[in-house]
Amino acid sequence: MLYFIVRRLLIIIPTALLVVTVTWALIRFAPGNFYTGEKQLPAAIEENIRKKYGLDKPWYQQYLIMIGNIIRGDFGESLKYQGQSVNEIIYRHLPYSATIGILAYLLALAVGLTTGILAALRQNSFLDYTSMAIAMLGISIPNFVLGPILVILFALGLYVLPPARWGGLSNLVLPVVTLSAIYAAYIARLTRAGMLEILRSDFIRTARAKGLDEWTVLLRHALRGGIIPVVSFTGPALAHLLAGTVVVEKIFAIPGLGNIFVQSVLNRDEPLILGIVAFLSILIMFFNLIVDISYGFLDPRIRYE
Amino acid sequence: MKTISLVSLFILGCLSLSCSSGAAGRRYWGKTEPPKENVLRYISGSEPESLDPQIPTGQPEARILMALYDGLVEYHPKTMEPIPAIAERWEISPDGTEFIFYLRKNACFSNGEPITAHDFVYTFRRGLSPELAAQNAYLAYEIKYAQAYNSGEAFVKDKNGNFLLRRDYKDTGKKDFDSSGFGPDTEFHRFINSPARLTVPYAEKELEAYLKDNPQMREVLKDKELVPVRAEDIGVEAIDDYTLRLKLELPAPYFLDLLAHQFFRVVHRQTIEKHGNSWTRPENIVTSGAFKLAVHRPYDVLIAVKNPEYWDAENVSLDRIEFYPLEEQTTMMNLYKAGEVDALYNNTVPAPWLDEIRKYKDEYLDYPEATVQYYTFNITKKPMDDVRVRKAFALAIDRFALAKFRKTAKPLADFTPEGIFPRYEEVRKRVYKDLLKEAGISEEEWNRRYFDPQKACRLMQEAGYEVVSKENGRCEVKNFPLGDVSLTYNTSEVNKAVAEFIQAQWKQNLGITIPLKNMEWKTFLPFRKRLEYTGIARAGWVGDYMDPNTFLKLFYGPNNDSATGWHDQKFDQLMNRANSETDPEKRFEYLARAEFYMLQNQPVIPLMTSATNWMKKPYVKGMYPNPGTLHAWKFVYIERDPAKWDRDVNEDLLKREDPMVEAKLAKLMKTQLDFQKRRRGE
Repeated sequence: MLYFIVRRLLIIIPTALLVVTVTWALIRFAPGNFYTGEKQLPAAIEENIRKKYGLDKPWYQQYLIMIGNIIRGDFGESLKYQGQSVNEIIYRHLPYSATIGILAYLLALAVGLTTGILAALRQNSFLDYTSMAIAMLGISIPNFVLGPILVILFALGLYVLPPARWGGLSNLVLPVVTLSAIYAAYIARLTRAGMLEILRSDFIRTARAKGLDEWTVLLRHALRGGIIPVVSFTGPALAHLLAGTVVVEKIFAIPGLGNIFVQSVLNRDEPLILGIVAFLSILIMFFNLIVDISYGFLDPRIRYE
Repeated sequence: MKTISLVSLFILGCLSLSCSSGAAGRRYWGKTEPPKENVLRYISGSEPESLDPQIPTGQPEARILMALYDGLVEYHPKTMEPIPAIAERWEISPDGTEFIFYLRKNACFSNGEPITAHDFVYTFRRGLSPELAAQNAYLAYEIKYAQAYNSGEAFVKDKNGNFLLRRDYKDTGKKDFDSSGFGPDTEFHRFINSPARLTVPYAEKELEAYLKDNPQMREVLKDKELVPVRAEDIGVEAIDDYTLRLKLELPAPYFLDLLAHQFFRVVHRQTIEKHGNSWTRPENIVTSGAFKLAVHRPYDVLIAVKNPEYWDAENVSLDRIEFYPLEEQTTMMNLYKAGEVDALYNNTVPAPWLDEIRKYKDEYLDYPEATVQYYTFNITKKPMDDVRVRKAFALAIDRFALAKFRKTAKPLADFTPEGIFPRYEEVRKRVYKDLLKEAGISEEEWNRRYFDPQKACRLMQEAGYEVVSKENGRCEVKNFPLGDVSLTYNTSEVNKAVAEFIQAQWKQNLGITIPLKNMEWKTFLPFRKRLEYTGIARAGWVGDYMDPNTFLKLFYGPNNDSATGWHDQKFDQLMNRANSETDPEKRFEYLARAEFYMLQNQPVIPLMTSATNWMKKPYVKGMYPNPGTLHAWKFVYIERDPAKWDRDVNEDLLKREDPMVEAKLAKLMKTQLDFQKRRRGE
């Protein structure tokens, strides 16, 4: 087990560097520059800028400098936002995304697991049909539709919640609900499917035959196996939620990492793009690792050698 | 199923409820209550790149930096003409190439230190230093030797220690202007008024490239010494602590307007030298404006509070401005409707909402903007190398229909925006009359230049295409090389709609269906600049200052910014003559001639003058729809008495007199007007 974890952790480093290299090449191939604008710059001014940011050096030199910095954990300074380091920007904006992400994740888990379990227990009942229909709706309504509808209802119709911006608790409600909807729906459907399969398996029948009460059967035995599909879905999902979801952050004007990421690409802000890409790839690989480890705990049939 | 229909019924019900609560019958759009505190909550657009006034180039930053920094002059809140700021008065030399600014003695930085002429000298030199690499440095190129310094050039000294003079080696069309009698005589003044020295690139690589283009200079530069142009050589001089003198290369009457730009606003030397790149952080920053930085949470909010040290603090009405950096139009409209913000920046009301929003006459601002929208031709490639084809394409667009379709624009057939430079437009009208007579164009025909399908068809025929006439003067061009032409625009809903509209016009009027292509912004720009596009591309231009020159200079010089490949000696000569002319009337005449000449060659299709297109709550006063949507914040205030709120803002808000604003303006202008009177009396 330990060997497995150490090996996986070690793989993360070269993979992240590879991701960064590919991204760097892609940015270099993309036309335009961080200083490209409607107004063309006189050649001398462009020359001044290139000198200032070391863009006049040969490409391999620039690449080595970049990789060297990243290995030291320093992503350098943003080209667009003068005087701000990339580390600082990520550190500053991650909490916004993470707050919304974690809240949405918890809400999605609570709503999704409850409905999923209830639907599985009362299969083919009215409750099952309604909750699964709503879940289907949740999956099919994209968040850029749901968000504005919620805004129209609660912010512009009833004037009870603010329509956007970061602020107090009331500002969190709409984005968290919007963000969690689709995850809650998926979790509900996955939980229901997983639970239905497990509830019909032999070891559950055995547990019941042993005379265990229904709650113990459900929570100690069925749930552990039943939520494996949920875990493999929500692990990477959590990474995405933490790192910011562009659409919801845009709709609700939340200063999160997703928002910054998109902007950095539009700005051709190379160090910032690389920093966020490296950070995200490490985050996602890390969460995948956690998911893999948790399989072992959830399902006794899975063992890592 | 029942539950679903119930839910959808609920949603529909709420939707109609929310619509009815905001629509017709109500005077204002959404919640309209002045904020409890004396604060303006303003949507400012994209997140500012930097709070260093000399770095960012965008308007969103300009608006924030105008609150934080003060300059020699400030924009007039309605006309954007320069009004006194740190300079309480100024005078201009008779030849128009020198300015003397008399600074007020009570101006100081946010840390209480006084602002002197030396701070301005530092600011100007810093802005132009190659090390700062400011993108806006070109704005100061009118200052003598500024361009040479910023471009890392050098003077040329011969063996006897004399510097070579520009007029002996280079024909730039620029004259030497001597105003040595203007103001006190100093050593620097004698130097800066001596005939312009020759400058050549200093760095080896650039010098080599220069000599390649100018082989005759190789001989000239032999055994000469190159002396780099220093910051101290540019035409900026502190005569004493409170008197600043500027020397320009040529009479540029618009330069005074330009000085209100954030690039020229004064910065604090010690702070910058102490903290380097991080001097703009909230804990380090020292500013010079009516407001100072209190909070900066990027992508969330920037709060500027009234600066008690400001020299004109008693005339600053707001206690605080909250700038919200966001660009999502729907989001900002929601915030506005919910009463969480008081005003938006320009071009923010989404097109599909316009019909509804226009009904709110006390809030929606629709005024001409110093911005033109146009299409460029790549005249280096066939078939657009033929001026007749270019003219035909220009004439086959119904500009009036386009403006109606866009809802926020006015039709444009000239290159300078309509309704922005009234004095220039008067002169131009007169000049055009003469020019039309010379060219043998009837006035009637000229007035049809906004849309003339018949002439378009005729021109296509003259250009050698097979043309089949159709009803209403339209036609079908048979053998147009469609494969060689496309219309490229940068991806956006609006650009797409306009391109499709114009595509339909050409199809209708010429029977030509031009294929459309769209590209991401930063991909599009170099593509257009390098003339890689075929046929036609979209473009827009925002004026830097309130003078037609800011638009016409786009076509000036061999490497001009027009992205068309068009360059013409005659146009350059007209521009040179205009810009060495000291009489403003005559100057406008030359500019009008240049504009006429350029448009006769039709390297571009002017389409429309944009409109300001923004909203403010009626209780926000002293905030005007000026051509640049640049607000001098000290004039803005919150009116709590609904009887005094702004009404029908599109009628004549710019002409209405607001006692609060007029009183402040009168007081500010007094120093300069009295000074001018005294000078005239002498």
